[in-house]
Amino acid sequence: MTLGIINLGRWEWFKLRKRWMLWILLVFAILFGQLAVWGGFFSYQNLQRTGGELTVPATLQQNQGRVPRTVACNDLLSGDPAKQPADLDPQVLGGLTAQCRQQATTLPERLARAYQGFTLPGSFSSALSVVQTLALILIAILTASAIGIDYGSGTLRSVLTKGTGRWPYLTAKLLTLGLLAALGLIVVLATVTISSTIAAAYAGAVPVSSAGERTWSDAGTALGKAWLSVLPYLALTTFVTVLARSSAAGMAIGLGYYFLEQILIALLSGLFSWFTNVADFLLVRNISAFTQASGGTGGGFGAAGALPDATHAIIVLSVYTLALGAGAFWLFERRDVQGATAG
Amino acid sequence: MTSTATVPAETPAEHVIETELLTKKYGEVIAVDQLSLRVPRGGVFGFLGPNGSGKTTTMGMLLGLVHPTSGEARIFGDPARHPATLRRVGAMVESPTFYPYLTGRANLQYFQGISQHGSPEEVDRLLDVVDLSKRGSSKFATYSLGMKQRLGIACALLGDPELVFLDEPTNGLDPAGVVEVRELIRQLGTGGRTVVLSSHLLAETELVCDNVAVLSRGRLIAQGTIEQLLRQHDELRLRTTDDVQARTTLKTLGWIERITDSDEGLLVTAPQDRAWEITRALAQTGIYVNELVPLHRSLEEFFMEITGTDPTTGKEKA
Repeated sequence: MTLGIINLGRWEWFKLRKRWMLWILLVFAILFGQLAVWGGFFSYQNLQRTGGELTVPATLQQNQGRVPRTVACNDLLSGDPAKQPADLDPQVLGGLTAQCRQQATTLPERLARAYQGFTLPGSFSSALSVVQTLALILIAILTASAIGIDYGSGTLRSVLTKGTGRWPYLTAKLLTLGLLAALGLIVVLATVTISSTIAAAYAGAVPVSSAGERTWSDAGTALGKAWLSVLPYLALTTFVTVLARSSAAGMAIGLGYYFLEQILIALLSGLFSWFTNVADFLLVRNISAFTQASGGTGGGFGAAGALPDATHAIIVLSVYTLALGAGAFWLFERRDVQGATAG
Repeated sequence: MTSTATVPAETPAEHVIETELLTKKYGEVIAVDQLSLRVPRGGVFGFLGPNGSGKTTTMGMLLGLVHPTSGEARIFGDPARHPATLRRVGAMVESPTFYPYLTGRANLQYFQGISQHGSPEEVDRLLDVVDLSKRGSSKFATYSLGMKQRLGIACALLGDPELVFLDEPTNGLDPAGVVEVRELIRQLGTGGRTVVLSSHLLAETELVCDNVAVLSRGRLIAQGTIEQLLRQHDELRLRTTDDVQARTTLKTLGWIERITDSDEGLLVTAPQDRAWEITRALAQTGIYVNELVPLHRSLEEFFMEITGTDPTTGKEKA
């Protein structure tokens, strides 16, 4: 049985690797990983150059009605009259300078934190915090497509008549998708390693501060959490695709649910106080809670508000994964196989 | 197309397929009704019936695609839907289905890979058998209907199965392709392998099948060799010196099934090998035969008679 599943997984990879979709999704994931590194690099450089920036509201400018703008703390604190903004009241200027002085005390720590965000090993956590949200969407697309094509093209009939068995076939598919998600994250981190090394070389000296350093252990935990958080979503998309016998339905629900849940929480929590308790049992909210817990990556706009604790999130996500997975297997095993649905 | 090479190993079971009161209901609709079928080992077995008669549903149940409501189905004496059993079977059910973004060759490699049967050379050999060698590297999505059909046949033959199900294998083929596939099916049915051919093209079926089963409205209404079935209701056309008197005389012969009048004489439903007894009985009463013609019915005529339907449309004949 195990060897059979491994063989089916090998041939699932044979099919998947010949699809453009897989590689396009991987490119997206890599780009988002790079965005985290280079975004961090440029904001570090900006912080270094400006010493931090303060926004001046339009109401505080002499020529009121102008758009809000920023002033650099390094300019304000330089004492050089040429670098002082000419369009601000001395009183306003004094207030801003005081704020900058206060911020300057924490500047080394902020610089160190920003530096850690785009250099190894901290860049792993930064990249994963961006990619993890995207990974849910990408895995939904890939899962719905990989499972749905057998319904759409009618190939499930041809596959099952080859004596693969239904459970082994679906198991092999899901294991392959899970493995690909892990490999995808590793590839993203490999590219992050390269760009982090380049960025660190450009960034120059390491800022000295008392800020706690990010460790490789944190990076490993973040990777593990990013991968585990994908599994309930993989189960959700599988269930919907098998239920509807359609990749389109799987993709629509997989993509739509992520946003729908946020909207529902925002709307109903405001209207009914009891809904906050219900929200603590919703999927994406618990994914956010799980990844934001100590050593996690955070991210996702489900992170807003007080999130459930990590243990609660693990239990809820396990229940979701098992229930949706079991439902998918039950349907896949039980139902008659029809011809192509083209969906 | 060239012939397939190998011959499957013999197994002791006399019947490769056995069903016992096999039934499939979709709500109130009975698709297959208590079907008890025996398919003998070796040769080509025709599975006939008008559209909607339950042929594909029965195949689906035998291949583990459709769950029976009740009854039992066995292949090689084992439960039909068991994966190990299915690995000894090749099938093309309804239209051939493949991954559109893979080439014809890659599709065959994939299906060979998941069934864990056969060698890499087999893929090229089968592409050659179905005359697709030159288009093996083209994506399936670019294939014509006939090419898809031929790839479906090649896929069914992967792993040199002992039992092959072919559902309407000549759909979409040009006349030359039909002849080639017919030849291929005949060759496949030799050497101990069994081919179950489902078709509504009865003229084709008659040319290649050794045995047939006829389904109508989900029920098995006839089964046997084509010769047996067609001879069940043999007819003779008879012109005599006195047809009225001849009719009276023949009625006294108990083994004559039916006598009807026609413009061309009497139509006598009786075994053709007893024609001499008819002429003797008539001669003994002073009636002499002017013309005695054995009438050979086609499978199509037999089919229409027993099902009362057109084989293509499944509608009742006027």
